[in-house]
Amino acid sequence: MDYEIRYKPAFAAIFLTLNPGDRITAEAGAMTSMDGKLTVKTEFSGGFIPGLLKKFFGGESLFVNTFHNKTQQPLTLVLTQSTIGDIVGVDLRENSLCFQPGAYICHTPGVKLGVRWAGVKSWFSGEGLFKLQVRGQGKVFFGAYGGLTKKRVNGDFVVDTGHLVAYEPTIKMNVGLAGGLLGSMTSGEGFINRLTGTGEIYLQSRSISGLVSYLQPKLR
Amino acid sequence: MNIELLHQPDSAIARVVLDANEELVAQAGCMIAMNGSINASTTLRQGKGGGILGGLKRMVAGESLFLSVFRSPISGGEVFLAPKLMGDLLTYEMKGQELVVQATSYLASESGVDIDLGFQGFKSLFSGESIFWLSLSGYGVVLLTSFGGIYKIPVNGEYIVDTGHIVAFEKSLNFDITKAGSSWLSAFLGGEGLVCRFKGQGNVYCQTHNPGAFGSQVGSKLPPQ
Repeated sequence: MDYEIRYKPAFAAIFLTLNPGDRITAEAGAMTSMDGKLTVKTEFSGGFIPGLLKKFFGGESLFVNTFHNKTQQPLTLVLTQSTIGDIVGVDLRENSLCFQPGAYICHTPGVKLGVRWAGVKSWFSGEGLFKLQVRGQGKVFFGAYGGLTKKRVNGDFVVDTGHLVAYEPTIKMNVGLAGGLLGSMTSGEGFINRLTGTGEIYLQSRSISGLVSYLQPKLR
Repeated sequence: MNIELLHQPDSAIARVVLDANEELVAQAGCMIAMNGSINASTTLRQGKGGGILGGLKRMVAGESLFLSVFRSPISGGEVFLAPKLMGDLLTYEMKGQELVVQATSYLASESGVDIDLGFQGFKSLFSGESIFWLSLSGYGVVLLTSFGGIYKIPVNGEYIVDTGHIVAFEKSLNFDITKAGSSWLSAFLGGEGLVCRFKGQGNVYCQTHNPGAFGSQVGSKLPPQ
């Protein structure tokens, strides 16, 4: 499989060439265009029960599509996300990565999609009760609204919940208020996420909730 | 006419330089700046795809009823055009062939290009997109706009495009509104819904992002009016 992420960083889209026998699994609705000879199969995301958990508590779709090249020639496929922004491909080597709702786009065989309990606090802050977790050997692609910043965390680090896109599960999250109750409300920071541990995180440079709260008072 | 595209791909605008007495037809409301000497008028256009009926048909297609016409009395008159959404622009040269354009992707064209409402049959009713497409024919340059980047696919055989990602395609291609996979059940459950399956030879222009999908993602979080 070959790929190229074009139109970075504002309108990133994944242009894939699937060689004979290659397969890739993508989130429902990610397909932009493809060769007519590709075989598409729809299945539950990670099985029936994990699929349901993801759908109702993790903000992901219940189904995923698998694109399979059953012909003898290379075929092309274009995948994208619904938000505008950047896309990153990460190689997994038996490690795993957790995603915020909506970030996941696609993965190669060898990577398993699962769910991870995120905790009641995460649910209260609007982040879902379960998190999507990928692990295994292969490539996984995810996207963001805006640009993506990779950051290695060692020790304590504080992020805004709306800007955290992906993180390694070696990192513990602790969602709470930015300061005292009054300080959090007046500073506009709202909920923050106190991370502890060692691992990599990905931050998005803009957040959909930020756009929504900008637009809200302008609607008449 | 000389067309220069600036600020590609994320917020493209077009700088059009007109020769003496040349005419540029554009989607109403897309002019952002021009020379003071240029005559701007509004038209329903005469001839094919023109008149009140043509205008009403364009309105049904999601375009404005009126088109703006910019005419320069002198050589070197400048007009700047911008689409509403963030995204790219594409120039396409018409040489007598027909081009089918998704209604909201049309921005402007030279006066030698005829704009007609191309009713693509009842099959497009089910595509979930606008029922009508614009059918362009004639000679001259056309300016098309997209949400996201535009990429061209030279189709030879069969190619599938999600209905929300089509900008334009050449009429030499046949198309069917169909499902991406083998079963109808998975077409709906799989979130791809309906797709356009092109057959034959010709070019398809696709946009990397779907304005409807982004709109519903943001819109679903906004309070109901």
